[in-house]
Amino acid sequence: MVKEVITGAISLLKGMGVTIKAFFSPVVTVQYPRETINITPRFRGHTKLVADDENPDKTRCIVCGMCERNCPSNSIQVIGEKKEGEKKKTLTKYILNFTTCSQCGICVESCPTDALAFSGDYNPASFNKETFYYDLVAEFEKRKK
Amino acid sequence: MEISTKIKESFPSLEPKECPYEQNGYHLSIEATKSNIVDIARFFIKEDFYLADLCCVDYIDYLELVYFFSKHDKLLRIKVTLKIDPEKPSAPTISHIYNIAHWFEREIHEFFGVLFDGHPFMVYLFLHDQIDFYSLRKKQVPVPDEDKRLLNSFKPEEQEDGFFLNLGPQHPSTHGVLRVVVKMNGEYILEAIPVLGYLHRMHEKMAENRTYQQFYPNAARMDYLGALNFNLGYVTTVEKLCGIEVPERAQYIRTITCELNRISSHLLWLGAFLADLGGLTPFLYTFDDREQILDILEAVTGSRLTYSYFRFGGLFNDVDDNFVDGVKKFINRLRSRFSMYDRLVTGNVIFINRVKDIGVMDRSYPIRYGCSGPVIRSIGIPFDMRKHEPYAAYDRIDFKIATGTNADNMDRYLVRIQEMENSLDIIEKALKELPTGPIKADKIPKKLKPPKGDIYHTIESPRGELGIYIVSDESDVPYRMRWRVPSYSNLMTFPELAKGTLIADAIATLGSYDLVIPEIDR
Amino acid sequence: MCTLDNIIQIIGKEVARLILGLIGVLVVVVVNALVLTWVERKVSGHMQRRIGPKEVGPYGLIQPFADGLKLLAKELLTPANVDKPLYYLAPVIVFIPVLVSFIVIPFDGFLQVKDINVGILVILAFSSLSVLSILIAGWGSNNKYSLIGATRSVAQNIAYEIPLLLALLPVVFMANSLSLRDIVEAQREGWFVWRWQFFAFLIYFIAATAETNRTPFDLPEAESELVAGFHTEFSGMRFALFFLAEYTNIFIASAIATTFFLGGYLGPVLPGVVWFFIKTYFLVFVIMWFRWTFPRVRFDQLLNFSWKILIPVAFANLIVTGGILKL
Repeated sequence: MVKEVITGAISLLKGMGVTIKAFFSPVVTVQYPRETINITPRFRGHTKLVADDENPDKTRCIVCGMCERNCPSNSIQVIGEKKEGEKKKTLTKYILNFTTCSQCGICVESCPTDALAFSGDYNPASFNKETFYYDLVAEFEKRKK
Repeated sequence: MEISTKIKESFPSLEPKECPYEQNGYHLSIEATKSNIVDIARFFIKEDFYLADLCCVDYIDYLELVYFFSKHDKLLRIKVTLKIDPEKPSAPTISHIYNIAHWFEREIHEFFGVLFDGHPFMVYLFLHDQIDFYSLRKKQVPVPDEDKRLLNSFKPEEQEDGFFLNLGPQHPSTHGVLRVVVKMNGEYILEAIPVLGYLHRMHEKMAENRTYQQFYPNAARMDYLGALNFNLGYVTTVEKLCGIEVPERAQYIRTITCELNRISSHLLWLGAFLADLGGLTPFLYTFDDREQILDILEAVTGSRLTYSYFRFGGLFNDVDDNFVDGVKKFINRLRSRFSMYDRLVTGNVIFINRVKDIGVMDRSYPIRYGCSGPVIRSIGIPFDMRKHEPYAAYDRIDFKIATGTNADNMDRYLVRIQEMENSLDIIEKALKELPTGPIKADKIPKKLKPPKGDIYHTIESPRGELGIYIVSDESDVPYRMRWRVPSYSNLMTFPELAKGTLIADAIATLGSYDLVIPEIDR
Repeated sequence: MCTLDNIIQIIGKEVARLILGLIGVLVVVVVNALVLTWVERKVSGHMQRRIGPKEVGPYGLIQPFADGLKLLAKELLTPANVDKPLYYLAPVIVFIPVLVSFIVIPFDGFLQVKDINVGILVILAFSSLSVLSILIAGWGSNNKYSLIGATRSVAQNIAYEIPLLLALLPVVFMANSLSLRDIVEAQREGWFVWRWQFFAFLIYFIAATAETNRTPFDLPEAESELVAGFHTEFSGMRFALFFLAEYTNIFIASAIATTFFLGGYLGPVLPGVVWFFIKTYFLVFVIMWFRWTFPRVRFDQLLNFSWKILIPVAFANLIVTGGILKL
């Protein structure tokens, strides 16, 4: 009986030793947003269009619609038009509804020309929903400049 | 097979058919009728089989109830089917033989409309009101009026005059959205009834409307703490169905990432369990450790919690040297932290008194309820799907299984701590043997059309035995996908275990099960 | 100045001293409660390897004022069907024992509002009133969870008052007086904790942690079991009063421990007040240290611990002290 009380008391003191050691150790938290940590380059985020190797002014997209069909959440809308004198369609608008996107990567994988990649944008924030209806063609044009 | 001779002796009218295990996941298939299904169930429980799953498939001319019986000590799985008339579906209940069938049958009732004769409590399990059609039927079958009476009929406070307490859907303790209605006498519990369905998202119906590739994100969102294990289960099941071979490197990387996920799930359970008991500090320490794992996995897969990393035939992308270095550093760090957890938690006399000899299960529970995972290993039965039915690279790596002796909360706690250490060993060995080579099998069709048939495959998620049953009809959309989740059968043991205990003990027991409610509700 | 002298002449020196003392006590109580909330959050933060509050003011020092302002501005929600007299009285009654206890604590040789010759008896008698306020709060809230919390608290407080008393008695024997000033003065040759009363100190400390409803004995407000226990239904300033009373009770329990066992305001070099506060705040830190290390004790284990372990040891200690004094 006395032995139980003594072993019990010693176990409590050991536990207190752990917390007091932690009390004097440095903090492990990062004071975001004043300090930031490096985000891995493979972080997903929303997708972006990739420039064509031969013609860096255009994207690789051929408006086949595979990403739109394969998306599980119906978040993609691909709109293209056939311009005069061109054999293939060109992409005019690519609407990604990021509010329903689950970042699964099926669109990236199923694209036959590898036109999509993850952007790694990890802290988008806004006050209204419309900011998250990304138009990837407009963002591509902005990045060209 | 000797079991089929035994079946033929007891039931001369049945003809068990032998099925190829590699293709179907079960060894025998038996067609039963309404008159002998109860006797078949009695036969199987005498032979120490447990009911692994009970589901229903709607072939439009008839409904088929599918029972899966398995054994704990031998690899033997038997499928029993029962055809039911689709106009007025009904079947005899087996809930007086196998307790777990109580909830399985309630679920089949609310999704398919099958009435089970003799069921003691035919009330909806997940859906609570405003149902007009049975959801999982292929055609729109309206709910008849006498069934609509059963909606919203669970009102215990109005039926009896006792002291009812709601361990409500919102808790300060991090279980998830579980409501337990508890009838109390002072501090002692007389009856505990879990009420589910607060997080029901109908994943099984979504599976019937999406192609096999489009279902990837859904698998991770069912159990977000063991997401890679659920991913692995889904991908392995479909690969077995189609006969796709996965390259060696991919198998090893799958093993390593799934074990990392298992450790992170157990770490979160440790923090939450202690937060239930009142010690709020270890929660922060385990999250510190867990953060290292999440950073490693983020560097490989790109996500932190709901991964979509595995693909049919391999992985989404390869691992690099940073991963290997990071994992080695993490293993050393976590090994040095275990002694700290011992001093802070395991040896603490207050913790021991809260947890020892509480929530003791006897040996009949695994057979009657089909509980799995650390819950069954704490009873002393070394039942682990990684050794029982090996998948990925587990049959090439040598590891130990942690078991307990007393089946109380303390043993469940110790089993999980030991499992974390064993997982570290597995990761170390797998890293040493990591082969080079491709990470994806070639020639996988973009639109996967598996051959006609069905398959039942199980894996070991951090909570126990996860079973996936897919019925395919040669189109690119599954005909029926059924997920048999471990927390379902574990939670079913709670009402019986909680009778007559103090409410503080009941909460400690609930915490030691490691429940994740989204996977129960699917 | 003349008018002040006139006032003091009219009402008498004793009454003036009492009024000044009461004002001083109120100031100390409020400031102490604010400081302790900040200390608790910082201590808990660093024990969990994180920083506590840091945004509001340098090192988060203005955080308690921000919290107090928020609680003052909150709507005083009264749920339906509460027992109105009990519901409104409970937060008020909880503060009475706190204020009374402060009157007799000796902060320094002369810094004591009134040195009553049965000082410790006053404190113990009034601390039983705090149980009454918890029971009134729990019953009057018309809420199942509050009721369970309140009944648990009553049983716990009754069980732990006995070891509390039995641990303080040997010191009273050794000092030959119930007055707090005399007890401190009797420690001039050595603190009682070194003079045979180490176990009494431990028993008193454990019983005091239980009396003030702190972890590991915080069942009345068990967060993960019963949302918030007996003060679930109190919001805004009413909750603030319970909160402040709890922190002040911690201070009083530590102050009594300092006075009885650790020598009160005695100490070299520094003035007595400083030593008193150093010792008291060290014990407050230890009580907070307990909270962030240990899980909660179950209810029947709590009662078992008091009746089967603490009381026999306290009795044994009493008998041994009596024996020593005789010899």
